[in-house]
Amino acid sequence: MRTVLSADKVKGDFLKKVEELSGQSIWACYQCGCCSAGCPVAEEMDLLPNQIIRYVQLGFEDELMNAKTIWLCASCFQCYARCPRGIDISKIMDALRQMALGSGPDRYGPDEIPASELAGAPQQALVTVVRKLGN
Amino acid sequence: MKLPYYPGCTLKDRTSQLENTALASAEKLGVQLKEIPNWTCCGAVYPVSETRIMNLVAPIRILKEVGEGGDDRVVTICDFCYNVLKRANRAIRDDDVKRARMNLFLSDDDRRWAAGGKKVGEGEAYDGKVKVLHYLEMLRDEVGFKKMAAAVKRPLEELRVAPYYGCNLLRPAEEMNFDDPENPRIMEDFIEHLGGRVVSFPYRIECCGSFLGLSSPPAARRLSQTILTSARKNGADAVVLSCPMCFYNLETKQKELAKEYAGFQPIPVFFFTQLLALALGQDTDALGFEEHFVDPLPLLRERNLT
Repeated sequence: MRTVLSADKVKGDFLKKVEELSGQSIWACYQCGCCSAGCPVAEEMDLLPNQIIRYVQLGFEDELMNAKTIWLCASCFQCYARCPRGIDISKIMDALRQMALGSGPDRYGPDEIPASELAGAPQQALVTVVRKLGN
Repeated sequence: MKLPYYPGCTLKDRTSQLENTALASAEKLGVQLKEIPNWTCCGAVYPVSETRIMNLVAPIRILKEVGEGGDDRVVTICDFCYNVLKRANRAIRDDDVKRARMNLFLSDDDRRWAAGGKKVGEGEAYDGKVKVLHYLEMLRDEVGFKKMAAAVKRPLEELRVAPYYGCNLLRPAEEMNFDDPENPRIMEDFIEHLGGRVVSFPYRIECCGSFLGLSSPPAARRLSQTILTSARKNGADAVVLSCPMCFYNLETKQKELAKEYAGFQPIPVFFFTQLLALALGQDTDALGFEEHFVDPLPLLRERNLT
């Protein structure tokens, strides 16, 4: 995908929205990449955790809303544990998910859970997945 | 010693073996875990963003009721419940705005419940005073690992166990304040006090994939396979853990791992309370192994632990 960098995007209110929803300071990130180094799901991601933050800094809203990464973060907090700037990246992922979901359909709702899993998955997994990936 | 106990949803159904062995073992160690009345789901995940304060209502209502019952502690076993209850409690204790808003929600609660003839509280503000204890902390700090070791009837000698922590027990570290987030010890100490041999392996604090087991199964399988293979390669006979979600990814799903990864060797996975019950002399028929995909009994027989 072509990515356009513009002053309008950088100065837009997207970053402020993310900060408000996540409670995290986006400009605290200096792109060291410790989060991505420690992330267990980095292999499956299209944007690495540090790139996610960079994109927020640059106001790349469309790219972020269409990124696979935000649906792959399992909230294991390893990035937060390793971040020298104390940024809870899982909260930023949650904020982005919340924005992407808006009032629209769930990314993964109760209907997506296969029947085989309904019989075997622990209740806690069923609740977690629809709360993390749904409205 | 009597302690209030919050079970959470999963322990009442899919992983009843975790609850059964925990309660039976506590009894043997002189602790009566008394299930708290009127409990609900804790919400399973800590609220996703700063704006969703409503999601704190369920865990705080649970803790408020414990406090109103006259207790200052509550024991829980599931790592997710522990994470949610502890973090929600801390948020209410330390954040004046959240505390005020939460108590407004809950005071309304009191009126409604009182109207139904089911008076829950006096409308007192909840300030986060109840201490949330994980069962492992209860063993270490309330019972004491030494006293636990003295009660062992069947030492787990020659059983090489790899402790797996996962995420929710340890992180976020300054909120959970449970153990060293990069180099925890509590499970290792637990195993050693039961007479077992600890196997260290590099993936003990890595995520098992959590809910990705449902929403992105291949990613969760890759993580689980890495964790289990690493434990096996480092010489473990079995993996021990405390979280029902980890059990789902690391135990139940081994059936699929065996299909997807050539050469994958299944490995028994225990809940820590099953090892505790085993060491305290409980009959192996009562440990709930029929719920496991990989039957641990052949291993236990081989090590003369049945």
